[in-house]
Amino acid sequence: MPTTLLDPTDERTPLGRTLAARRGRLTGTVALLDIRKPRGDVFLDRLEQLVRERLPGVTIERHAKPTFTKPAPEDLRAEIAARCTAVIEALAD
Amino acid sequence: MSCSVHDCVDFEMRGIPAVFVASSTFVDAAAAQSRALGLPEVARVFVPHPIQDATDDEMRAKAEAAFAAVVAALVGSGS
Amino acid sequence: MSDGAAATLPALELETLQGEKVALRDPAAAARLIVVYKHDCETCQTVLPVIERVSRAFHGKKLLTLGVSQSDADATLDTINEHGLCFPQALDADLALSFALELEVVPVVLLATPGGDVIARSDALDLPQLTGVLTNAARLSGVDERVVRRALAAFELPAFRPGCASRTLDPGVQRARTATQGAAKLQARRWLVGDDQDVVETLFERGLTDGLPVVPPTEERVLRMLEGTTRDPQDVVAVVPPNLTPATVEKVAINAVMAGCKPEYLPVVLAAVEAACTDEFNMHGVLATTYFAAPLIVVNGPVRARIGMNSGINVFGQGNRANATIGRALNLVVRNVGGGRPGEVDRATLGQPGKYTYCIAENEEASPWPALHVERGFAPGDSTVTLFAAEAPRAIVDQTSRSARGLATSLGLAMRSVMHPRAYGLGDVVLVLAPEHVETLKRDGWSKDDLRRHIQEVTTKPLAELLADDECREGLPAALAKGADPATVRLAKFRKPDAIHVVVAGGPAGKFAAVIGGWVPGPMGSTMVTRKIDERDAPAA
Repeated sequence: MPTTLLDPTDERTPLGRTLAARRGRLTGTVALLDIRKPRGDVFLDRLEQLVRERLPGVTIERHAKPTFTKPAPEDLRAEIAARCTAVIEALAD
Repeated sequence: MSCSVHDCVDFEMRGIPAVFVASSTFVDAAAAQSRALGLPEVARVFVPHPIQDATDDEMRAKAEAAFAAVVAALVGSGS
Repeated sequence: MSDGAAATLPALELETLQGEKVALRDPAAAARLIVVYKHDCETCQTVLPVIERVSRAFHGKKLLTLGVSQSDADATLDTINEHGLCFPQALDADLALSFALELEVVPVVLLATPGGDVIARSDALDLPQLTGVLTNAARLSGVDERVVRRALAAFELPAFRPGCASRTLDPGVQRARTATQGAAKLQARRWLVGDDQDVVETLFERGLTDGLPVVPPTEERVLRMLEGTTRDPQDVVAVVPPNLTPATVEKVAINAVMAGCKPEYLPVVLAAVEAACTDEFNMHGVLATTYFAAPLIVVNGPVRARIGMNSGINVFGQGNRANATIGRALNLVVRNVGGGRPGEVDRATLGQPGKYTYCIAENEEASPWPALHVERGFAPGDSTVTLFAAEAPRAIVDQTSRSARGLATSLGLAMRSVMHPRAYGLGDVVLVLAPEHVETLKRDGWSKDDLRRHIQEVTTKPLAELLADDECREGLPAALAKGADPATVRLAKFRKPDAIHVVVAGGPAGKFAAVIGGWVPGPMGSTMVTRKIDERDAPAA
């Protein structure tokens, strides 16, 4: 259960966790992270094709988790974070 | 599905926009899990169930249908 | 309590355990015979089979019999199985029906018209009342009332047996309900701390603390804090520097929770925030200066005893919750609401520990003189806060003077060095006398004014002794002499005797006093401000 707290400040800046800034366009390298559930690879293959067709400036890197039953290992997350500007994780079923 | 939420929250905390794709059966669970992690707005796109029974063509169609939403989640659609 | 004729069923819809929805008020439907119960009540266990038996007579006869359980699903299902109950059972979700009926006791058996008017009611096990409800029900549904009477007789019920307390009276239940209703009225932005995060650490990471851990401001804690005042939570208390943010009672309460205050301290905190944010006190200046100033809060009046403040031993030290947290709450408000933080607007070179918290109660009981607030125009019975832009207390030791005059001379000599021995014409200063020194002065019949005048005399020096020189460039400029011989120009340390504010505080043993220098006085600096604690703020005890 998350804890709900009241904001003690003047509320000019958010206090809780916030989303990373969105830059208005995709650039650089995007990670396609396969959670390794069956059929997800077909989905990701098609997404990869669509990115190549429609977003030519973007490079795709394919990654995969060892198992979908746990969060991605720390070194995988660190590697992706160091190399990529965005992540698409699929496909949870 | 909840592991995907964990992963995406972690990426957002590192400043990397992230989105996870899940089957439509996970709408409520995703909302609960993202709240539990203190980031209810974590980006997600749902595709119609079923997944396991779908043919390759059907899977590709799901990817095409989801593509725009996935990109929007990463670039900020402004909508 | 059995004034059933006055009550109406609320317009609720309950869902039976069979998944059927039942509207409590439905003019198009049948009359209702309702029994409210909880599983762990013996009297309920006695009454339920009776209702089961008569419900079979009423079945399908323009009367709906409904059981409403205050217990959870599992316990209710066990009860149903134990007694073989066939009539519909529903759970009283959130105890909505029980609260609406203001139940104090279960079981309650009610007969209501389709429109929801309660026409008969029986509480606990009261055989005559119960008979009345059930025979009424019989009449409504066209069943011969002898059927009901024979059924009742077969159970051989006692004339009376007490019931059990309704679950609505459980303290935990009351608290949770008040909390949900109250929380909806709080307007501060909410933020979620994920259950993978440490809440205390998160508060540190977000820069919301003064370096010490704070109490997490949950909705429940803030609501409880707001019980300390009758003011509307959305009332604006003050506009807080440096960002000039309006602080509502609610925002102050949130920071008071974080500081560790109890609800009864809130009125004092509110008054302190109000006083600190006045133009005269100039909290912005106090914060932004490189000087040592921190807002010292001196509390006077009956509130001191009511909330258990310390005016005695170790009065400036640790250990008393009210002293510690009231001062801290003010500083957290300035930090979090006003945006005043060290390294940003707060540029103090050295600062002082009082910037964490600096709040005392005057020891009026040990003083033969008018208290600080009385000297400043308030009635002795008023509760007030006085704010002063203060340095840290500086020790004055005199363990040998036996006369008032001797002691006053010591005090004056020590006070010559406030700010710098050659700094003269100073503004306000606070002189804190502990009880032993007070006794020495009182014995010789000295008043505060006698003391002030003597201190001014002792600290008055010829300009010649205060001039800056080659060895020590700090000092007064020779031009102050205006052509006269500096040896003949006499200057007073403090701009006037009234600038010396005498406060009595401290423990009964120890011949010590403390002088607390101030910041620059007047419009460019800060002026001492006293505020009465709002009468509305102390709810009737």
